[in-house]
Parts: sequence; structure tokens; C-alpha cells
Amino acid sequence: MMYMESISLLTKKYNEYTVITQQVRDILPRSGIKNGMITVVTKHTTTGITVNEALECLESDIEVFLGRLIPEDYPYSHARMLRDYGSTAGNPTGHLKAMLTGNHCHFPVVDGEIVMGGAQEIYFCEFDGPAHRTINVAIQGE
Amino acid sequence: MFIDIHVHPAFYEPINADAELEELRHETLDIHKNGTAPLEHIFNQMHCAGLDYLCLLPEDYRTQQGGKVLVSNEEIRTLVDMAPDKFIGFASVDPHDPEAAERLEHAFGELHLSGLKLHPGRQHFYPSDKEMEPLYEICEKYGKPIIFHSGLSWEPDTLTKYCRPDAFEELAASHPDLRICLAHFGWPWCREVAMLMLKYPNVYTDTGALYFDCAQEFYLQMLTKDVPMTWIDRSLRHQVMFGSNNPRFEQIRMTQAIEKLGFRESTLELIRGKNAIDFLGGLPEGRKAI
Repeated sequence: MMYMESISLLTKKYNEYTVITQQVRDILPRSGIKNGMITVVTKHTTTGITVNEALECLESDIEVFLGRLIPEDYPYSHARMLRDYGSTAGNPTGHLKAMLTGNHCHFPVVDGEIVMGGAQEIYFCEFDGPAHRTINVAIQGE
Repeated sequence: MFIDIHVHPAFYEPINADAELEELRHETLDIHKNGTAPLEHIFNQMHCAGLDYLCLLPEDYRTQQGGKVLVSNEEIRTLVDMAPDKFIGFASVDPHDPEAAERLEHAFGELHLSGLKLHPGRQHFYPSDKEMEPLYEICEKYGKPIIFHSGLSWEPDTLTKYCRPDAFEELAASHPDLRICLAHFGWPWCREVAMLMLKYPNVYTDTGALYFDCAQEFYLQMLTKDVPMTWIDRSLRHQVMFGSNNPRFEQIRMTQAIEKLGFRESTLELIRGKNAIDFLGGLPEGRKAI
């Protein structure tokens, strides 16, 4: 059996880290699935899904680390008019940061619970905000 | 005070209940994959860009679109009424519409819009056409400015010959009390716009261009090399306004880029907002100079 729901977010900042663990947990009972796997995947290419400990200091370290690896003022190729959009691409750093965090995470579901480590939280990472974003939560099992 | 003088709200959610009209807007403006934006998102974007006010520009191409208006003056009024502390509304009319003058009178007299937006390249007229005189006279009567598209337009069915900067000289010379903005710095004819601004104090421009590279690189080329920075910083500093042309171009990186070019702080203050207030003839009634 497969069940899917979406989470919508209106991000407020250019780069922003949002813990969505509870929103993901809330979906599981509605699926009726007791045992299987849950997948959380963003629909976008300038956002990420990552799992980490929800601490302010770590969020800061992650932001600084990604900013150091992928600075804003580098001469990226993805800075040109895109005919398909009719607008200028200005978000290469968002694409590259998203590549590093990845776009999804998986967790096992056992006896109607998501099996997670005590320090693990699911983060939605905005790298080109503010924007209206959608995250798909897919649950497979029985 | 930071004003974006050049914003197209065609995809703002409150005026996009009609899916067919939204599709017409995507096709006409050739802007795609952007969806529609709730006002809360627009306000978040303004906050990130440090913008206090957006000037919202409509598009009336009704004689080429079977009588449909792409973004109407009434829709602009609706948006301004939803956020009067953030939005300033302009009017648009189609110069080939026999009722254009009456519609403009209505836009200024009844809807209390703050200026007129025209697109010679898309609406296929020369700024010096005699048929335009009634519209110019109405703007002068109400003391309202005109923003003209100038230079390259990405929209389909546009002809650049109508909006090269030198096409505006006759108008600038014959109507010295009419404030006109040759938008987008007339790119790629930026020096022609500089020439007109030097000669005619009623000519303004905005910075709504980002056709190559990133915002920082493009502004560095356009505002410090194509037009040397000293020309703006010393001579044209009262005639350049910040404009993004959003959603074609991005506001946040453009506002950040303009700050880093090396203008004097007093020049930046003019570009950010003071010139726009002069161009508008003051902020609309009830708006605060933040």
C-alpha cells in the first residue's frame, strides 16, 4: 500500500532551516499504515531535506559551512536568462546547497511509529527563499 | 526609504482567481514556472530585499487581445487597497483604444492611481505620435508621471524600434513639465538614456535590467562601465530610481547588488527612494516616508 500527503510552507528568509518532524509524524496515522517506510522528499531543486539535531548552534554551523563551500560571490555559470522561465537565473547557490543536503530522507515505520534516533529531527532547508514550498511525504507498507 | 518603482503584479494571488486569465498572463509576458504569489509571500520578499514600497504596474493591450485587459487599473486599485502601506498603484491604457483618454481620466480622477505605465514596443506606438498628446495632457493636468518601457523587451510581439531612447527626445523636449521614466535604463542603449537625462531634467530612469550574468555582475557592467559610475554619482544622481522589473528579475539580489557598487551613501539614498518620491510628485496621500 502507498499513501501520500503534502506539506506546504511559506518560507520567510533567503536561507532558512525548518524542523518538520511533527508535521511528518502527524501524517502517519492518517495513512493507516503500521509497518513500512516513510519517505520525505522536497519538490524543489533549491531546497533540501536533511536529518540532524535541532540545535541553534548546529543550524548556524550548517549555514556557515554551506556558505563557505558555496559563496554567493563566485562566478557561477547559472547566471543567465532562461528562455523556459523568461527570467534570469540567480540561484546557483541554492541548487548547489540542495545538492549537498540531498532532497529526501527515509525512516522505517514499525507498529505505527516512525523509528528515529533520540537526537534526530527532519529539517526542511530553504536555499532560495522566501518562497512557497511543497514537501511530499510518501508512506509505503501495510 | 526603499521603493521599487517597477513591479508587475500579474501573478499576485488575489487577482488570479481566473485560470484562463492567469495562462494569458504567462503567455503574454513570457514568464513561466513561477506560479502565483500570495501577498504574504510578497511581503516576505519585500522584507528580505529591504523594500518599503512597490509601485505596481498594470498592462492594457486590449486592442491586441480581443478586448481583454491583461492587468487592469481596477485590479491595481484592489491590490493597493489590500496593502496601502506597501503598494503604490499605476494606471495603464491602450493608446489605440478610442476610450483611452476617458479611461485615464477615470484612473486618475476616480481610482486615484499615481502615474501611467506605457509600453511603446508592445503597444506599437512612437512616444512622439500626435495621437498620444491627449494622454500626455491628462498626465500634466493631474501632475502624474509616466513610466515608459525603453530598450529591450523580452515580451513577445514587441518591437524595439518604438522604445529606443532617442524616440523619447521629442516628448521630453516638448513637455518639460511632464516627468517621464525611460525604464530599464534603456538597455542596451544606456548611454543614450544618460544623454537624455543630462539634457532633460524631466527624464528619469530605473535599474530594472538583468539580461546577462548575476545581479552584481550586470549592475557592475551597466551602472559603472556602460555608464561610468561617476556620471551617475555626480551628474545624474537625482534621476536614477531603483526598479527591479520583478517578477522578470529578482528583487533581493538586485537591492543587495546596488548597495555594493561604490556610490556615495547620499546617492544611494536618492536611488533607493528619494528620486522615486520626486518622480511621483510625493507619496500618495496617507503614505508615510519611512
